[in-house]
Amino acid sequence: MTNSIPEIRDADFLFVTGSNTTEAHPIIAMEMKRAVARGAKLAVSDPRAIWLTEIADWHMQLKPGSDVWLLNAMAHVIVTEGLEDREFIERATENFDSVRETVLRYPPEEAEKHTGVPAEMIREVARAYAGTKKAGIYYTLGITEHTTGTDNVYALSNLVLMTGHLGVRSAGMNPLRGQNNVQGANDAGATPVFYPGYQSASDPDVRDKFSKAWGVEQSSNPGLNLNQMMKVLGTDLKGLYLMGEDIVISEPNVGRVEEALNHMELVVVQDIFFNESCRFADVILPAACYAEKDGVFTNSDRRVQRVRKAVDPPGNARADWQILKEIMDRSGLEQPDYQHPAEIYAEMASLAPKFSGISHERLNADPKGLQWPVETPDAPSTEYLHKNGVARGKGLFQAVDYRPPFESADPEYPLVLSTGRTLYHYNAATQTRRSEGLSGKQPECFVEVHPRDARRLGIEDGQMADVVTRRGRVRSRVMVSRQVRRGAIWMPFHFPDTKTNALTTDAGDAVTGTGEYKVCAARLEPRTEEQPEQVFPGAYAAIRV
Amino acid sequence: MADGQFVIIDGNELSFEEGETLLQVAARADIEIPTLCYDERLSPAGACRMCLVEVEGSRLMQPACSFKATGGMVVRTQTPKVERNRRFLLSLHMADTEQDRERAEDANPSRIFDLADVHGTAGCFPKVEQKRSGRPQDVNKFIEFRPERCINCSLCTRYCEQIEAVSAITLAGRGAETTISTADAKSLTDTTCELCGGCVAVCPTGAMTEKPALAYGKPEKELEKIRTTCNFCGVGCQLDLNVDREANRIVKATSPPPGTTVNDGSLCVKGRFANDFVHHEERLTSPLIRQEDGSFREASWDEALDRVVSGLQGIADRHGEDALAFISSSRCTGEENYLFQKLSRAAFRTHNVHQCAAT
Ligand code: SF4
Ligand code: SF4
Ligand code: FES
Repeated sequence: MTNSIPEIRDADFLFVTGSNTTEAHPIIAMEMKRAVARGAKLAVSDPRAIWLTEIADWHMQLKPGSDVWLLNAMAHVIVTEGLEDREFIERATENFDSVRETVLRYPPEEAEKHTGVPAEMIREVARAYAGTKKAGIYYTLGITEHTTGTDNVYALSNLVLMTGHLGVRSAGMNPLRGQNNVQGANDAGATPVFYPGYQSASDPDVRDKFSKAWGVEQSSNPGLNLNQMMKVLGTDLKGLYLMGEDIVISEPNVGRVEEALNHMELVVVQDIFFNESCRFADVILPAACYAEKDGVFTNSDRRVQRVRKAVDPPGNARADWQILKEIMDRSGLEQPDYQHPAEIYAEMASLAPKFSGISHERLNADPKGLQWPVETPDAPSTEYLHKNGVARGKGLFQAVDYRPPFESADPEYPLVLSTGRTLYHYNAATQTRRSEGLSGKQPECFVEVHPRDARRLGIEDGQMADVVTRRGRVRSRVMVSRQVRRGAIWMPFHFPDTKTNALTTDAGDAVTGTGEYKVCAARLEPRTEEQPEQVFPGAYAAIRV
Repeated sequence: MADGQFVIIDGNELSFEEGETLLQVAARADIEIPTLCYDERLSPAGACRMCLVEVEGSRLMQPACSFKATGGMVVRTQTPKVERNRRFLLSLHMADTEQDRERAEDANPSRIFDLADVHGTAGCFPKVEQKRSGRPQDVNKFIEFRPERCINCSLCTRYCEQIEAVSAITLAGRGAETTISTADAKSLTDTTCELCGGCVAVCPTGAMTEKPALAYGKPEKELEKIRTTCNFCGVGCQLDLNVDREANRIVKATSPPPGTTVNDGSLCVKGRFANDFVHHEERLTSPLIRQEDGSFREASWDEALDRVVSGLQGIADRHGEDALAFISSSRCTGEENYLFQKLSRAAFRTHNVHQCAAT
């Protein structure tokens, strides 16, 4: 996030796109509710009628995958009505003209045909956004989990740049991170393209620096991202080390991944439970969970905060950092004798200027944590970025054109399936499923179907049906709901008995490698044989409220 | 600040902003006025009368939590009359709920007794007969309402309405029968309730309490609080794990006070209630190695680690280091992710390292 969570309550305009915030980020949603209660305007763009649409001024219920059309049309309104921030564009950005030219081809009336959102609504939202100073954009996987994910993000950032909503409190461009420490893992360099602190792995000087620091000549071969790894599993890749990640439930097109795992020479799984990937493991290492170790997590607003050991791990389980140190020692790369993760953090901070002013000691002293960049031991948190102009020189406009999703509905697969998460479970649900109270509230998978589609297919609420895509077939209970658009269906992916990701495509965004979990073509086949009893009938009634 | 606008509280001349309550002005000057139904995040209810103070020129005492400061107002917060009211109310609340401290604090701490420590009581009043109804048939697994401890401060219902914004619970009934209920006294799981537990966090008496901790049976006061960061979504809420040290057990999670951390006193259902996985019987407790027949056997750390290292090195020797891939998790700490990419880049000289979630 360029801005901070506590700033949300003071915003005057919120544009929430592709984020079911109340379910995926409940506490951020609380701040949004507060802003709205104070009088802020709220525009939501989402194919589903998510909870926030109840308090929204505008719900742009677009067709899944048509985001670029919608966003470019908003930009069209801004440039044709002269609502752009000329001064900011002039001072702080580059390449505006190319975007201007491109978006001129995206008039709202045309956009209405492609997105299903009324042209007038697009105009109103664009005007309100451009005309409000404290106007922030909040987005998450609904924007990025597409083959056009990077395009979607560019289209959003074009809107931010042309309206000058950067370096302003309660405004900005705010991706809400899906998991506790996505930000922190990226920060620490768990990505093929960056060393810790976003230092480019393709820059020879950076590699030099790390060659010296670690005493090992760094490779100049580019690394593979997750999506690329999945494609060459079992062929180019022979050995796989999974730390805390269950690829067999969370990666798209699971059938192919499972097949490939059978062809690996070595699979190591380090985790807290025997997860689905363990079925393919040669060695399983028992790890400590977050409550059993020390360290830091970095949240969505770049806030580094302490994780503290509260209890001892069970049996012989060990903290991941202890295991990793042992492995490096035994691989011939003797590590310092770390007594506590504070020392590991200090090592990272010494190599990454963005965090060089952060230490466990400082974090222990401040219950609000520290928001990076913090470059010296006495520098304060950076509440919002780009305060003094856009970082790295000038903000670069990137013109993007609409490209259709990898798959569209066709006669054989006439529905569009999107997947996502719910409030009561978390990702592979290895943790939340083991909570009696959460499973009681949401015991099994469901697929949301619009009432009209249900009627046409002769499917009743609560009936079982097969969801079929080109890649697989899974059985799930049907929940007839107006949350989804006609022609669209939606499923959570938390339930291992219903492998939602056997259905999704592994077509990925070219830049980030993120899979297209939000759009694939599907059909529904009602099942009439014996229906398993609903474990907890009330659950559905409650979700539907 | 309104120019030259002052109130005098206990002899201190204090400036204030238009619309500020006496409580807010006093708090800024560190003058403590006891409250039971006030929360800075919520609109004041003026329900408990604990915050009554004397205002010159007004015959009745006024509730500091909702009474607005005006220029020249003279306020006293520590007179015998004010203190008498506090002691009387505390005795009354005890008679109406629970008079024995240990029983009152069998689960959550009680603000009534905390205040009594400071202000004293007016003695032990005869027990008031209870008429409030509960919802014993509520099947939700997380939140218990104990009507005999409710003082109708409405903190829970206001939290539910104004912060969680779902209005699952409301004040129901009249007079002495007023209680907290859901529409048609349904189970919370059949309402708009999102099981956030905010109603528990704000309850001053423990009337709203956590079912799992209640069943565990150790009072919160005997648990050790460890401040940490939630391990679910990317908000990074701060929470206190309440630990039974002897049993090496997390009994529950509580939210830090409002205003102190990024989550401002709130948590969601996962952060507050989904910690039972930590002690789940299916946790992995020993390294496992696959045998010839495909099954796993337990192994020592030594053996398992050697197996991992020789396996990785073998592949690097046979196929080159780029035949290895390292996938880490945003569930692990920053330090662990740092070591993981160091393992990949320094020990095995490959950039094939990525975390599972790209967003
Ligand atoms: S748990 Fe949260 S949503 Fe449910 S009644 Fe309490 S405050 Fe309301
Ligand atoms: S308590 Fe809920 S909102 Fe807060 S970090 Fe945890 S999962 Fe996210
Ligand atoms: S705190 Fe003022 S009436 Fe309760």
